[in-house]
Amino acid sequence: MAQTVTINGKSYEINVDGAMPLLWFLRDKLELTGTKFGCGMAVCGACTVHLDGQATRSCVIPVSAVAGKSITTIEGLAENNDHPLQKAWLNNKVPQCGYCQAGQIMNAASFLAQNPSPTPEEIDTAMQGNICRCGTYQRIKVAISEAALELGKEV
Amino acid sequence: MSIENVSRRKFIKQSGLAVGGLWLGIALPNVVMAKLGLAFEAAFNPNAFIHIATNGDTLIYCGRCEMGQGISTALPAAVADELEADWTRVSIKQADGNEELYGPQATGGSASIRVMYIPMREAGAAAKAMLIAAAAKKWQVSAQDCYADSHFVINRNDNSKLSYGELASLAADMPVPKNIKLKAKADFKYIGKDLARHNQGDIVNGQLTYGVDTKMPGLKYAAVVHCPVFEGKLKSLDKTAALAMAGVEAVVEIPRMEVPFGSIGGVGVVADNTWTAQQAIKKLVIEWDLGPNKTYDSKAYKLQLVKNVESPAQKAAERGDIEQAFANAKHKVSATYTGGHLSHSPMEPNASVVWVQENSCEVWAATQSPADIQKVLAQYLGREPKDILVHVTMAGGAFGRKFKCDYVQEAAALSKAVNAPVQLTWSREEDTRTGYYHSINAQHIEAAIDEDGNVSGWLHRAAFMPIASLFDDQVERAPAGSLGDIFNHPFGIENIRTETGEAKRHTRIGWYRAVYAIFYGFAFGTFADEIANKVGKDTLTLLNNIYDNNNDPKQEIQVRRSKGALALAAEKSKWFSRDKLPKNQGIGIAVHYSFESYVAMAVLVEVNGDDIKVLEVDCAVDCGQVLNIDSATAQMEGAVVMATSLSLRTEIVFREGAVVNSNFHNYPVLRFDEMPTVRAHFIDNGDKPTGLGEPGLGPFPAALSNAVFAASGKRYRDLPFKPSTI
Repeated sequence: MAQTVTINGKSYEINVDGAMPLLWFLRDKLELTGTKFGCGMAVCGACTVHLDGQATRSCVIPVSAVAGKSITTIEGLAENNDHPLQKAWLNNKVPQCGYCQAGQIMNAASFLAQNPSPTPEEIDTAMQGNICRCGTYQRIKVAISEAALELGKEV
Repeated sequence: MSIENVSRRKFIKQSGLAVGGLWLGIALPNVVMAKLGLAFEAAFNPNAFIHIATNGDTLIYCGRCEMGQGISTALPAAVADELEADWTRVSIKQADGNEELYGPQATGGSASIRVMYIPMREAGAAAKAMLIAAAAKKWQVSAQDCYADSHFVINRNDNSKLSYGELASLAADMPVPKNIKLKAKADFKYIGKDLARHNQGDIVNGQLTYGVDTKMPGLKYAAVVHCPVFEGKLKSLDKTAALAMAGVEAVVEIPRMEVPFGSIGGVGVVADNTWTAQQAIKKLVIEWDLGPNKTYDSKAYKLQLVKNVESPAQKAAERGDIEQAFANAKHKVSATYTGGHLSHSPMEPNASVVWVQENSCEVWAATQSPADIQKVLAQYLGREPKDILVHVTMAGGAFGRKFKCDYVQEAAALSKAVNAPVQLTWSREEDTRTGYYHSINAQHIEAAIDEDGNVSGWLHRAAFMPIASLFDDQVERAPAGSLGDIFNHPFGIENIRTETGEAKRHTRIGWYRAVYAIFYGFAFGTFADEIANKVGKDTLTLLNNIYDNNNDPKQEIQVRRSKGALALAAEKSKWFSRDKLPKNQGIGIAVHYSFESYVAMAVLVEVNGDDIKVLEVDCAVDCGQVLNIDSATAQMEGAVVMATSLSLRTEIVFREGAVVNSNFHNYPVLRFDEMPTVRAHFIDNGDKPTGLGEPGLGPFPAALSNAVFAASGKRYRDLPFKPSTI
């Protein structure tokens, strides 16, 4: 029986070469293009998704390694696209070209889940792996702090 | 400027655009077109369209390409302002490539706002006048009795209202007004405010589609590898192993297309997914004939450029008597500045889908210049440019790279070979190694200082691999015209000579965000600081002196606005309290005029040993009327991030003809934890608006060099200051 992977709550058969990185399974097979290709060697963060809730670089993890696991992509982060980070991103008008932002948001979401009230230095460290060439870092930092406050209220 | 009511024109129907309601096309004045070097024969050259549907939904097309700079919000907002539209009823669509319909679409040179601000506003104002005329007709009153507000026309006599939707069809039959009245600055609703970009929602939801995201039935996926050395050729290719891979459909040789924006030459693989194509590329056994540039070494070349500017070179321009100025000088100051190659490295690598069929060719591309795609593919396929249909997608960053459509031509070659739509996505490695690079450069300046401490003479030699070499392989040095920004710099220097040193091409040179302003800004701004130190003045005072010495009436505005930006940067930063900074901190200041905008920056750094940390940057900007204060601020944040990368450590290094860097681990752009606090301050004087995509890069490297000198006494004259070892 073919292996399956759960993506955004839906089960998919892994019907490709198991060595194919998850990124390309998402993009070229499932046509979930919100997750972006940036470097192919896990140094830019554009392809970040959640693997069982943990931020993971989908460009280097083979799809066979996520069999039986649960993946969340930007398309599935929040049912109505109203995750506190997505709201904070809009509120602070973060994106310029926007290409890296799905990865930024997914990385930040996993980080905040583990550290709900981070210091500015902790945000710096957590976000170091995500490159933005347009230069939106300053706004991302404000947005993460704002979302952390919002998440704090929800608890 | 002409505006034409095109509601009934045939092409609206033919082009599949919605029929009914009011359409307005606008055309640029010929003088603007001439300035852009674009000649259009037809009298009617609409470059944007407003469509108001009978339900009031308003669609504004943006002909300029969007790559994150916010133009597809800023220009439509100017239309909506004059139209008195309700912004929540406006949607925006990126126009396909069609310069006959939309006017010039090549998006670069920070030109969109400069060129389109008035025409777009006039289009909105004309539409508003026609809606008012329609309402007046319906009410049997004069147009003066009516006014427009938030998607309604209102009758002053009895306050009755008609919505834009109700009026649209009637308005389409109204004559286009001859005299168009634009709003006063005080009445602006959207211009100059902080409207969110129209696509933000789709970005945070992962729904916005970029060049890499196009999908369609039957789509094939491709990867490419290029000859690592410019002007090299394929010698032999063994494709057996690649073709044996499951999912690989074809291996295709792509010869170099010897036009500036054509393929550099390589081999492509078409497969049923991108990853398989990328893996198959690695299985190709290729031998290259590396050609004439196989010994290019950028480090040695930089040293040669230094020699070329530290000895007499070819005169470009001269005024006054420079020999006399130096003979009478009390002090002489000289310095040599250098800079390396840079790669644009937008986060989205080059990508497009092309489908070449017998009678059609359709393109979906992240591009800055759809017309160049039409031109290059037409030449490649032996067809007419108008027969190449280009859909412009969002670009995931561009910075000048996506002006050049080599990657689209390669996709066309692959599509032709497999007779299917092909999506070619370059790998990061190919993007880094076989791009179009910022000019490697050297400048040597000598200044004569007279008894009163004024700069009386200026010798400025520059040698850099010029962009002209992309278009002409015989070019041996930067043409005199490319040194015009030195000669015409608004510093007041009576006696000046510019010289251009030899700098033959050994790679593909292409414009990179801010282009020559990167190294001109660095040289002027740093050298001013060095002069100030020599004569014992502070840099701000010295700069003001130099500007005050400019008696050329033609440069009065440049002098005033440069000084205004400087003053604001000093005021907003810690410049005036710099004596109180901790010992290891320093502040530097510089101003640069480029692309008709003025930006001054005050940079605060902390230096510990070899470690340079940028703490704060105050940007003072004079770009005339600001169109969107939020986007303009974002441009400054972005300029600081990119300029910090290129000032501190990013450099493309060539050895044995090929680029050594390959990906972000050895082309280390700025990361999150290194982000300084950036504040942008605007001198919004209501002057004619100018662009901001590039001007923020000019002053930064100099302000940083000056700050590091203030903090540590160490002077950096080579960009980047601390190249990553590679």
